[in-house]
Amino acid sequence: MRDPAQDFAQDFAQRHSSLTTLPDRLAMHAPAPPPVTPAVRFAGVVRHFGTVRAVDGVDLAIAPGEFFAMLGPSGSGKTTCLRLIAGFEQPDAGHIAIFGESVEGLPPYRRAVNTVFQDYALFPHLCVGDNVAYGLRVRGVGRAERDTLAREALAMVKLAGMEARRPAQLSGGQRQRVALARALVVRPKVLLLDEPLGALDLKLREEMQSELKSLQRALGLTFVFVTHDQGEALSMADRVAVFNEGRIVQVGPPEQVYERPATRFVAQFVGSANVLGAAQALALGGAERPSSLRPEKIALLAPNATPPMGAAVVEGIVEDVSYQGPVRRVAVRTSGGPSLVATVPASASGVAIGDAVRLAIPRAALQPMESEG
Amino acid sequence: MSLSTLDLPDPHDGALRRLSDLLVRRARLLTLLLLVPPLLWLGLVYLGSLFVFLGQSIFSIDEFSGTIVREPTTATLLELFRPANFDIVQRTVAIAAVVTLLCAIIAFPIAYYAARYAGPRVKAGFYLAVMMPLWSSYLVKIYGWKLLLAKEGAIGWFAGRLGLGGALEAWLALPLVGGPSLSVSYTGMVLTFTYLWLPFMILPVQAALERVPAHLIEAAGDLGAAPGLVFRTVILPLAMPGVVAGAIFTFSLTLGDYIVPQIIGTSALVLGQAVYMQQGTAGNVPLAAAFSLVPILVMALFLTLAKRTGAFDAL
Amino acid sequence: MHSRYLHLPALVACASLTLQPALAAEMTAIGPGEGQVDIVAWPGYIERGETDKAYDWVTDFEKKTGCKVNVKTAGTSDEMVALMNEGGFDLVTASGDASLRLIAGKKVAPINTKLIPSWETVDDRLQNAPWHTVNGVNYGVPYQWGSNVLMYNTEAFKGAAPKSWNVVFEEQTLPDGKSNKGRVQAFDGPIYIADAALYLMAHKPELGIKDPYELTEEQYKAALDLLRGQRKIVQRYWHDAMIQVDDFTNEGVVASSSWPFQVNLLVSQKKPIASTIPAEGATGWADSTMMHVDAKNPNCAYMWMEHSLSPKVQGDLAAWFGSVPSVPAACKGNDLLGADGCKTNGAEEFEKIKFWRTPVAKCATQAAGCVPYYRWVSDYIAVLGGR
Repeated sequence: MRDPAQDFAQDFAQRHSSLTTLPDRLAMHAPAPPPVTPAVRFAGVVRHFGTVRAVDGVDLAIAPGEFFAMLGPSGSGKTTCLRLIAGFEQPDAGHIAIFGESVEGLPPYRRAVNTVFQDYALFPHLCVGDNVAYGLRVRGVGRAERDTLAREALAMVKLAGMEARRPAQLSGGQRQRVALARALVVRPKVLLLDEPLGALDLKLREEMQSELKSLQRALGLTFVFVTHDQGEALSMADRVAVFNEGRIVQVGPPEQVYERPATRFVAQFVGSANVLGAAQALALGGAERPSSLRPEKIALLAPNATPPMGAAVVEGIVEDVSYQGPVRRVAVRTSGGPSLVATVPASASGVAIGDAVRLAIPRAALQPMESEG
Repeated sequence: MSLSTLDLPDPHDGALRRLSDLLVRRARLLTLLLLVPPLLWLGLVYLGSLFVFLGQSIFSIDEFSGTIVREPTTATLLELFRPANFDIVQRTVAIAAVVTLLCAIIAFPIAYYAARYAGPRVKAGFYLAVMMPLWSSYLVKIYGWKLLLAKEGAIGWFAGRLGLGGALEAWLALPLVGGPSLSVSYTGMVLTFTYLWLPFMILPVQAALERVPAHLIEAAGDLGAAPGLVFRTVILPLAMPGVVAGAIFTFSLTLGDYIVPQIIGTSALVLGQAVYMQQGTAGNVPLAAAFSLVPILVMALFLTLAKRTGAFDAL
Repeated sequence: MHSRYLHLPALVACASLTLQPALAAEMTAIGPGEGQVDIVAWPGYIERGETDKAYDWVTDFEKKTGCKVNVKTAGTSDEMVALMNEGGFDLVTASGDASLRLIAGKKVAPINTKLIPSWETVDDRLQNAPWHTVNGVNYGVPYQWGSNVLMYNTEAFKGAAPKSWNVVFEEQTLPDGKSNKGRVQAFDGPIYIADAALYLMAHKPELGIKDPYELTEEQYKAALDLLRGQRKIVQRYWHDAMIQVDDFTNEGVVASSSWPFQVNLLVSQKKPIASTIPAEGATGWADSTMMHVDAKNPNCAYMWMEHSLSPKVQGDLAAWFGSVPSVPAACKGNDLLGADGCKTNGAEEFEKIKFWRTPVAKCATQAAGCVPYYRWVSDYIAVLGGR
């Protein structure tokens, strides 16, 4: 049994390179770009809504074939950036290029990008097959060919045989897959995903995460993925851009963003780290700079245990304990110092509110940040 | 006193409260109570009297005495197919169809603007502008239109001023739509009907357009459809239930009206007038009932066709 | 006040009604008034000065007799008959079709004319008119009558009254040099077939039409043919008096069968309008006051009937309604009506007027039988539709 995703990927690659089987006017103005050209490039992009600067001077380069996540709280400008790429919004200042071509003034229907919407935006009056074939239909692909392509695309997202259903008859996860198939069937150069997993329950979400990732790998396509869920961003993306108040505060591979948050905002938004002032960091053996400290790096010392090498020891009183499945989250008020949160294995029992405890903090765990901001 | 020790008294347990308990526990009883009065009204009073009247169409009138013969016969229904009567049916349906089409064409852009572009203030103004004509007397509006359409009326005057007098004359010289003046032509009648029923088309279309999610329109554009194509393949199909709802209004209102054709038009009868004349002045209740069946059958046919063409798919 | 006209053709086919006198006995004496009288009337027929203070013929009657007058207006003859069938009313101002139906239905009582002193003043020609007298028994007191007239635009006709109805029936060039096509109107009720028959009576004597309401198949067909020809020159079939007034004002209509009401209104607006009754004569209508067999207030009813014949009431009503008094004396010395009021409203044309009746199958003047009203309705609908 062959994997439909594999089939699709091969097919996709063939069609995409030949550009002849698909009468795609979008493809016409895209001669083979030099390999270094970013798939998407933002230069000083600004977008206001009234007095609100939703996007406030964003510079960005997304490499071809990259799985790029835009992470941030709501209102941070990440979705607006996605809409700027799609063409639903036009920048008030700055430039956007897709594979080296400026898209200034180009309406969405003239851009070689496609979007998977947060609410999927399936056409309720069309059956699933026609939904998927919609982009082919508007390009003038004949009925028979577009039915074939739509069937293939549905098979790829594991919805073979669902062509005749109405969107209303599908579950949330199924609708999500239809939206995905509909966007992919027109062979976009960049696929934009706007919180595509937000409406799914946890189990489905995890399943879709790995599927999306393997699909992206198989297709070799550029994915731009908007999410407010840091776990999702970290687990799926090749690189993550963290947005705050219309600006990108940090871009980098997930490990980098997580391990070495550039700012207090990143530290707290991604993985809710402890943030220490310069003096506090110095007192624990770090640099005299504001620093972040991941809760899982802090160890709870047994009463008579000797602290590991290179670790500072602080004493404090347990203020709160909460059970979180694999771990326990322990909040400790240190004597004369800050309140710190540590996560310890859930099996480590016997910590109760009011207990006096000792915390071991490895010096290397203190990550100096660029600023407090 | 802290929140944990605060001891609130239970609410007073009155008869109304106990009744509420009963209704909350027995939702069906509540539904029944809510539905009985309107169902009685609709079922017995309204539909009952309608069917009693329509039932008369299987009787006939005695040609000599003018009294109603209460024996079932198809003669009266077949009377509808006599050329003069069938003319009336065809004429009325044609007028209603043209009026509906014209209403839809005029209403759509207005409704589209209101639904997609107008801000809250503009929208309030829009509702006012659409509803205002409905507040003034129907007769006043018709007489107003008669004056506008008259040979020496405002439309003729403006046409003359704009140098279009010749065009108006040429239009009036056309065989079917023309006549001695606009007010005694089918053109004038259709214009008046279109004006009268336009709000009934605008409002449902606007409501339908407002319910089309903006994301769907973006999605269509995103998938490569230019605006014209988005309109044809997404907006129009999704707004169709609204257009059909509006068309039900404009179509049936035109089918049933008998005031406008008395004042504006060619004097050729429409269904409403035929019913009025047969029932009121000729005493031929069976034929009047038979004529009254026509709009009901036409509407049933209309809805069936609308359903066939998928107008309700997006519901 | 004029809306009664709208339903003038409200004739219900009553072809085979056999008219038998009611068995109810006549009254022999008028007792004291009961304090009130309930009357079913055409709108505008019984005025108490509420529309125009000058037109009030109720207040004095109430003061004089102590009978309070309650009026229920009815818009059609059918409604009048229905109200009288329901009962609860004393009097009705019935038109030609309603009156015979009420008599046949035994809903109205014979009138003892001896109890009405003014009876002698009623126009001789109306006293025993066939629409309220059956087998020599009087069932109604004549109230008012009126004539249809040919209303015309004096400018289009260069001041000369048209001599014939042909100006509305046949395409021709009018004195102003323009064709009458699209500039004339006809009435939209089936009773208008009688107008065509009246015209044919004069112009095609070979058809042998004796009475425009009694037409054989052949005569009827000729009348319809005339009307089909007329369809081509008619601008609109008029239905509402006020709309006809507007059409003569704004639509360039210059000639039509009409009523004195419209003529008076247009003349009062200083429009170049006049009316005439052409050589062929005209159709018209006559109404009578009739009393319910079960009238609860017969004494007040008789008092009202007497009052209704007073020259003042008759003259005022004629002026208000554009009709002609049943009492000739009312034509003289009435301020509201003026010296020529009766003449304007057609009083001198009585002999030329064919008062309308319901066409019935068994008719007096044609041995072969006549086309009943039932068919007039459906055929006139076809004519209006251009068929």
